[in-house]
Amino acid sequence: MVGLPLLGLLGILDAGRGIPAPLSIGGEWTLEFNSVLYCGNDPAGLPPTALNISQSGTEALMTLNDGHATTREATVNGTALTAKSLTATISGKPGARTLEGKMQFDGCAPVAFRAVRQAPKKGGE
Amino acid sequence: MLNLFQLVLQIAVILVAARIVGFLFQKIKQPQVMGEMVAGILLGPSLLGWLAPGVSAALFPPASLSYLNALSQVGLVVFMFVVGLALNPSELHGYGHAAVLTSHVSIAAPFCLGSLTALYLYPRLSDDGVTFTHFALFMGAAMSITAFPVLARILSERGLVRSRMGTLAIACAAVDDVTGWCILAYIVVLVRVAHAARPAWVTIAGSLVYVCIMLFVVRRMLPALERAFRKRDHLSDDLLAVIVVLVLASALATEWLGIHLLFGAFLMGAIMPKSPEFTRYLLHKFESVTVVLLLPLFFAYTGLRTRIGVGGGRAIWFYSAIVIVVAITGKLGGSMFAARLAGMPWREAAALGILMNTRGLMELVILNIGLDIGVISPAMFSIMVLMALVTTFMTTPLLEWVYPTRLFTAQVDEIHKNVA
Repeated sequence: MVGLPLLGLLGILDAGRGIPAPLSIGGEWTLEFNSVLYCGNDPAGLPPTALNISQSGTEALMTLNDGHATTREATVNGTALTAKSLTATISGKPGARTLEGKMQFDGCAPVAFRAVRQAPKKGGE
Repeated sequence: MLNLFQLVLQIAVILVAARIVGFLFQKIKQPQVMGEMVAGILLGPSLLGWLAPGVSAALFPPASLSYLNALSQVGLVVFMFVVGLALNPSELHGYGHAAVLTSHVSIAAPFCLGSLTALYLYPRLSDDGVTFTHFALFMGAAMSITAFPVLARILSERGLVRSRMGTLAIACAAVDDVTGWCILAYIVVLVRVAHAARPAWVTIAGSLVYVCIMLFVVRRMLPALERAFRKRDHLSDDLLAVIVVLVLASALATEWLGIHLLFGAFLMGAIMPKSPEFTRYLLHKFESVTVVLLLPLFFAYTGLRTRIGVGGGRAIWFYSAIVIVVAITGKLGGSMFAARLAGMPWREAAALGILMNTRGLMELVILNIGLDIGVISPAMFSIMVLMALVTTFMTTPLLEWVYPTRLFTAQVDEIHKNVA
């Protein structure tokens, strides 16, 4: 009564070991802009900004702590992260993941950024 | 910084919503707690945040939720103590083959089916920060839980507590609860150890020492409290404070060990002396504030984290349907066939399966732990919350359909006539 379900469970766990999952990007990030922002002709420097990503599989909700709590729905496809006016490449291991790409604010030229994850939200510690 | 006005306003709004929706649900013969769970969901992004995002943002700004969470966690600690307190291991004896078979299958079947579903859901709703093993084990545990308190309340409201099917359901649910919490504790330890700096042996050895101290030291001291109660027919405020401190100390011990503070509270309740008068007295003392004030805060906090139908498109509804079907098949179907195999008539076996399928707020407790430790994603959390609501909601009407009150009343009348 115990042996059969246990064997079945072990089989399932073994079968699932090779299943690939989307790259993890959920958690708190620090966003640093590599270039100045051009909105019209005047360049403006952008301070490092906090970014929160809530991820469910390939879908993610990005919330930028820019005073307006700008949110964008994003999609993870392999190492590519795409959202409206944002493209980035995901690299590094889950514990030390980084994002590099370009983002565009309304009425401004695209600006390059690099983001570093503060701590992946796993383990509840 | 704590905004006291906002916190008190939040509590007031939550309590009013919980009472109103709870009352409305009672009108459609659902348990009050079902309405309170739904009230929590309605206050979150699934309804209020969707209909009136401005009001929702003003009433429940994200920064303020940590205080609401803290209060709800305190409520859960007391609630888990109450659940452990209501659990009487001696009642589990004497149900024989049917109870053993049904309780084992009602855990094994949904656990295996939940883990099997993980093969499909893992690449779609999880990420590589969670291993498949952790995800699948959690899915199995979350599918196999039964809401012992809600089930007891449904049986009590229908006068089925002392029926053969009712006592069997309570016995099986109690076994399920204890097994489910042990499995969950193991999963929490697995996940936390994988991400913590503390070596695994500290958690494992510490947990064993903790359980031994609780069972062989603390448990032997507790009858002194019962004796004090018997002398005066009540406990002094000082002794009640001692019990609260013991609950908190036990909760802190398990949290420090990396299991979760709710396990400590549950175990403290489980090892309390079980004489009916003493248990009833403590339940009366601890239950009211928890059920009326603190649990609705937990439901609201859960609701604020739940986004039913928000984002994810049609796929989310498809995944939800899969999870609900699997949950019902595993728990209801598994329990029903096991009870039938053990010799119960089909009607009673089906009623038992329906009762065991009630997941209620115990499921919400487990899901919140899963989301907190990061083993399930926000979308998976919402799907599982929806499953918990559906399986709890369907219990009363299905039970009335399969095992109508008039049938039970007729059986009781017949027994009385035979005795006469």
